[in-house]
Amino acid sequence: MIREALTVILISIGLVFMLFGVIGIFRFKDFYSRILISSKVETVGFITLMAGVVIKYGFTYFSLKILLICLVVVITNPLSTHAIARSALISGFKIKEEK
Amino acid sequence: MSFYQIVLLVIAFFTAMVIIRVIMGPTIWDRLLGLNMVSAKIIMSIVILAIIQDSSFLLDIALVYAFLGFVGTVFIARFIERRGNL
Repeated sequence: MIREALTVILISIGLVFMLFGVIGIFRFKDFYSRILISSKVETVGFITLMAGVVIKYGFTYFSLKILLICLVVVITNPLSTHAIARSALISGFKIKEEK
Repeated sequence: MSFYQIVLLVIAFFTAMVIIRVIMGPTIWDRLLGLNMVSAKIIMSIVILAIIQDSSFLLDIALVYAFLGFVGTVFIARFIERRGNL
């Protein structure tokens, strides 16, 4: 019973993090601040959600696969965000100073 | 409406919000960021769907999608950065 409650709590925390990621996209006016916030919060939300799912399934092949997906996304998400920000910076997208 | 179906609905709603940012995004890189986030959300919804149907082969799809989304995003970013000649 505790495992089910823990799963529900962790998944809802992951959803709350995703909510912050979406709010972060709309709230910030400049691209750089937007990408800075939303990619970090997105990855954290992903980890929390997957942790909740892993707890639900305990020690089986199912949760092992989910951990593998979590590992892959934790490595690739920041990398792709870095590639996006780098391409923006190199092609001369200036950072607007706050008025 | 079990708990996981509600989670799927909430993820779908967040994906719709991100798609609004992809459409509205002033620069190309906003759109690329939106695509990156949509693919992360799609991976989450595939995993939640795998829980609902309790079938573990769906997770392989999520894993492959994670790699493909990453390669796609990196190469689009490189394409924009090099203005065409990779």
